[in-house]
Amino acid sequence: MKISKRFFKFLIVCAGMILLLTGCGFPGLGGNQKETVKVASMTTTEQQIMTYMVKGMIEHYSNLNVEIVNNLGSASVSLNAMKRGDADISAVRYNGTDLTTVLGNNAEKDPTVVAKKVKQEFKDRFHMTYFKSYGFADTYAFMVTQKYAKEHNLQTISDLKKIAPEMTVGIDQSWLNRKGDGYSGFKKEYQMDFGKIYPMQIGLVYDALQAGKMDSVLGYSTDGRIGSYDLKILKDDRQFFPPYDASPVATDAILKKHPELRPILNRMVGKISLKTIQKLNYRVDDNLEEPQAVANEYLKAHDYFKGSDS
Amino acid sequence: MKNLNLLDQLIYYFSHNGLYVLNQFNRTFLIAIYGVIFAAVIGIPIGIWTAKYRKLSPIVIGIANVIQTVPSLAMLSIIMLGLGLGVNTVIMTVFLYALLPIIKNTYTGMVNVDPDVLDSGKGMGMTTFQLLYLVELPLSLSVIMAGIRNALVLGIGITAIGSFVGAGGLGDIIIRGSNATNGGAIILAGALPTALMAIISDAVLAFFEKKFDPSKKKATK
Repeated sequence: MKISKRFFKFLIVCAGMILLLTGCGFPGLGGNQKETVKVASMTTTEQQIMTYMVKGMIEHYSNLNVEIVNNLGSASVSLNAMKRGDADISAVRYNGTDLTTVLGNNAEKDPTVVAKKVKQEFKDRFHMTYFKSYGFADTYAFMVTQKYAKEHNLQTISDLKKIAPEMTVGIDQSWLNRKGDGYSGFKKEYQMDFGKIYPMQIGLVYDALQAGKMDSVLGYSTDGRIGSYDLKILKDDRQFFPPYDASPVATDAILKKHPELRPILNRMVGKISLKTIQKLNYRVDDNLEEPQAVANEYLKAHDYFKGSDS
Repeated sequence: MKNLNLLDQLIYYFSHNGLYVLNQFNRTFLIAIYGVIFAAVIGIPIGIWTAKYRKLSPIVIGIANVIQTVPSLAMLSIIMLGLGLGVNTVIMTVFLYALLPIIKNTYTGMVNVDPDVLDSGKGMGMTTFQLLYLVELPLSLSVIMAGIRNALVLGIGITAIGSFVGAGGLGDIIIRGSNATNGGAIILAGALPTALMAIISDAVLAFFEKKFDPSKKKATK
């Protein structure tokens, strides 16, 4: 009996410890403190830069702490994190992506329609607020080296049709199975089928192309390496890829709890142009600078977008 | 950047992002240490308890062993289902992995205390608690310390993987390095401090382990 009594006591202690572990924050780590806002970020460079910008802005204009939930694998992982309450804000979401993948709608070509639809659906279905775009759009783009383009006389994606069966193509990890704007949709729209397709971490496709391991890759149009490697972007002549305007998304719960967040996020609307994000991406990808350093420097240089409320 | 060699790149990286690396270093260390502290708080009493009721030791150590055999990435994902993304998940994982070395070493340390010493303690009229506190624990402290040392080194390794569930830390730098062009220097910038942290904490705890070793202690007075 003695044992069972002690064992019982021990169980209570264990349960107490676990409660303690899950329930409270840890000094120095942020954790679940009350005044903490959690921002979700994905693995791409652009995501991380914008996440640190959001963090910098919130910490500059309010007393809130910002905790970053980093390295999430895809847009749906990040959305689930927000639904579960693991994150309150997503630093960058692309409305074209959300329309076809998360919401399961058909691809839409008109940017204003996309923006409106996604905003409304996020409000109704997930109780999240989709802010206006930062001012840049990221889209998928097929690219080739200048040499390859000249050899095969390539200008548009349709030009690939003749050589497609012999091509090796590098893509990111989600495109192959995406609905709507994924590979299956692409095959239907452009009537072509690539010889070999290699899904890989998106940061690697540009190097693979440059090194001659791939004939063409499907990259992101905002990547700084397009400029630094002088890659040729093939024109999407059938306008298959919808516009993917980049905006922050926040849960309604956190906006209600901390109303000061809304004007802060609104302050960033339209402040980052495509050129700017390309430049910042380049510095992180090629110049050994950390997203945090780049983001903070940009914010400081622009005085935290002061005096430009919108 | 491409004309610099790896070492120059590494120096350049540290000079530009030193503060960031330091922050992540702290973060990694704190996550690992919290996990190990929790494991010590729970594991040492369990170790003592199993040493008292030795019949239970195969069960308790068996359970800890089973926990240990789960691959760390799988463990992280399983715990993520319960605790969600973020730092708590990683602390919990470190905690679970740290249990085995701590329980096992506490158990071994307690069992190996010379029964003659215990007898003489009893003969002096010590209570069970006094025996534990004044005789058994001091004599087994060095072995327990060795367990904590093992656990902490293990914990630092797990924390590096913890970046995949969004906990941050030096693992973030490693992952980012794998994304960047010529990221070799960035990967090193994340990996070297991680290794350094493990080596240093191992050395520090080894020092304490030696200090507490009763066989090395000179008789006072």
